[in-house]
Amino acid sequence: MSRTPARQSALLRLSAEIGAALEEDDVCSRVVHGLRDESLGYNLIGLFLVDEHTGERVLKACEGLKGVKVGMRIAPGHGLTDQALRTGKLVYTADVSKAPDYVRTFAKGSEVDIPLLVEGKAVGVLCVQSRDVNAFGKPDFEILTAAANQASIAIARARLLVEERKRADEQQALLDSMSDLASALELPKVLRAVLNRAVKLLGVTGGQVAIYHEDTREMEILASEIEQGDYVGTRLAYGEGAMGTVARTREPMLIQNYDEWSGRASAYSDVNIHSVMCAPLLIGKRLVGSIATTHSDPKRIFGSDDLRRLTLFAPQAAIAIENARLFTIADRQKQFFEAVVEASPVAIVTLDNQANIAQLNPAFERVFGWTAAEVLGKSLDALITTPETLEEARAYTNTAVAMQTAKGIGKRKRKDGTFIDVELFGVPVVVSGERVGVFALYHDVTELLRAKSDAESANKAKSQFLASMSHELRTPLNAIIGYSEMLEEDARARDDSESTGDLQKIRSAGKHLLALINDILDLSKIEAGRMDLLIEPVDPLTVISDVNATVQPLVAVNANTFVLKAPSSLGTMYTDVTKLRQMLLNLISNAAKFTEKGTVSLIVEKNGSEIYFRVRDTGIGITTEQMSRLFEAFAQADAGTTRRYGGTGLGLAITRRFCRLMGGDVTGESEPGAGSTFTIRLPIDARAVKPTPQETA
Amino acid sequence: MSAAKRVLLVEDNEMNRDMLSRRLAKRGFEVGIAMDGRAGVDMALTGNFDVVLMDMNLPEIDGWEAARMIRAGEKGKRVAIIALTAHAMQGDREKALAAGCDEYDTKPVDFERLLAKIAAALGTKT
Repeated sequence: MSRTPARQSALLRLSAEIGAALEEDDVCSRVVHGLRDESLGYNLIGLFLVDEHTGERVLKACEGLKGVKVGMRIAPGHGLTDQALRTGKLVYTADVSKAPDYVRTFAKGSEVDIPLLVEGKAVGVLCVQSRDVNAFGKPDFEILTAAANQASIAIARARLLVEERKRADEQQALLDSMSDLASALELPKVLRAVLNRAVKLLGVTGGQVAIYHEDTREMEILASEIEQGDYVGTRLAYGEGAMGTVARTREPMLIQNYDEWSGRASAYSDVNIHSVMCAPLLIGKRLVGSIATTHSDPKRIFGSDDLRRLTLFAPQAAIAIENARLFTIADRQKQFFEAVVEASPVAIVTLDNQANIAQLNPAFERVFGWTAAEVLGKSLDALITTPETLEEARAYTNTAVAMQTAKGIGKRKRKDGTFIDVELFGVPVVVSGERVGVFALYHDVTELLRAKSDAESANKAKSQFLASMSHELRTPLNAIIGYSEMLEEDARARDDSESTGDLQKIRSAGKHLLALINDILDLSKIEAGRMDLLIEPVDPLTVISDVNATVQPLVAVNANTFVLKAPSSLGTMYTDVTKLRQMLLNLISNAAKFTEKGTVSLIVEKNGSEIYFRVRDTGIGITTEQMSRLFEAFAQADAGTTRRYGGTGLGLAITRRFCRLMGGDVTGESEPGAGSTFTIRLPIDARAVKPTPQETA
Repeated sequence: MSAAKRVLLVEDNEMNRDMLSRRLAKRGFEVGIAMDGRAGVDMALTGNFDVVLMDMNLPEIDGWEAARMIRAGEKGKRVAIIALTAHAMQGDREKALAAGCDEYDTKPVDFERLLAKIAAALGTKT
């Protein structure tokens, strides 16, 4: 009887069994199970694997003997299997009873031990025993060696699988650990950590991370793990080099022969990098930066698996970087605002919802004299108010508590009991729609108020002085004008033309002085707010004809013609007649003064709720630049004008102020050489009018 | 024209008094002079004047008070009173009229204008 078919079927069975096995233990038990064939005389089959650390043989699988436990260990140095292990060769013991090294299992029989070799190294041993002496022959050795080889391959494969799985697990763990990076906040640290993990994850020799600056459209390298050179701070243009390219294309990229790659940035001309794998760091469509991993070993070739891992890694890295960047910005802003509060000359205090002091700045300590330690947690109102101001202060606090900004000026008490004037703001502090407290700002305006009140009283004193001065000046002026007039009359009666001329000059100078004094008095009264208006109903045509009569001799002086244009009726006007007359005379006498042998016209017309009085002349005119200063006090077009044409230089300033008091205005337009037009517009009814704001002169 | 019109000048400032009185005299008025309000009231009530030129800023009894006293004290013939003031403030005219004055003029005096006002006041009187 031939046992060959049985042996071959055992080997086939074994092949099929271990082909499906993926794990080491499974491989072992399937090998043992597959070989078990009583008809072949393989009564006992065991498989040992060597524990690399101790050198012990560990029984992994066993069939054919009861009571033997899988996991049993045999120390190195004895047993028949040890020989096979040591020599790496098949050991046949035809009669175990004669072998001193036999670990006794059967009373008699034979044993074959075949080492399991992986890359030339014995990692285990297959042991087959028969109860019969001389049970095995060459065919058995062949089949068992084939089985052992298959087992070795299967075990090596299983071990590799374990290795790979372990690596995959580690990589997954690394990827998972990106979530903790997402909460790390310092940008440089985060970038280094991102790079470090990418390098580990991909098992490469180096890499770099760059962030994208939107404003300059540049990539800046902020983390680098490349042996040659320090690249931190290096900038690449958008589209430049590998990292710039992926930034532009928004696609990852593999460069197998970096040395030969034409797109290499000049900064990398000297590096020893064989291959580069690069990916953009994107959040959605927004570019945050890019990451490169580099490898200097030509044997390592980046594959699709590497690319997959990098593209898995990149979005998480992008988020981590962006978080850190946002945090850095927020942190800087926070520091900025803290510095502003710290350095502010305004006392700033934060109150909690119970109006107790939660926080204060150094200015608060200076302004109120309290230190933070003394007042934290105390009621602000109780601290800095007096019984007189408490109600008012509470009202401000309540306004702020009611989510509105409170502001005002008041007196507050310092620690030493003295008082200061403060301008105060109460602002609710709202976080996510919820009031968390109140922000109170106190600006010490004691000095400011004092200065203001000083300025006001100085101004009042000035006006008072001007009023009494002009009054006091008028009395002697009265005498000067009166006596000169009297003497002039006498001289004329005597026909003393020499004296008449001189006396006329005295009188004229006196009248000029009087006009000046009157104008100054008017201006100071306006500025002191003491210029009263006497608004009464009047027919403007009456005023105009009155003015017409008055200006005739005035206009005649320079041989000018006076033209009056007015509609036949203008109705009733409510205005200050005296001032209207004064203003018209003013403009007409100006026009007459600066015009020779020309025409001075007064054109009156109704325009909506206003009446326009235009005084037009054909005189010398003025420039726009001069026009802009003309309505200021004491501003004639130039200093020489006053000498040549006389006048106080206050007429237009007063006219403008009178107009504005009545809710109107006066404007002028002119061209040098082509004459000027001044227009007074006044409301027809000035009774309910609010004065137009006056600019201070 | 009949007898010269009698003008009483109530004025505390010496120069103004001198100047005005001389100019009035030159224009043919008989001029009486009072240096303060009290004298002015006495003379106005007893001196048979046609017109009183009353300075308003007088010591002790001011022009307004004097005008009121004249109006309160006079019997029969009503003397014309023209108020003279250096203030030229809004409301002075109304105040003067309310005190019993017939006219109002501002200082420094425009002599021709004053003469016109005197003539007008006398015209209404005669």
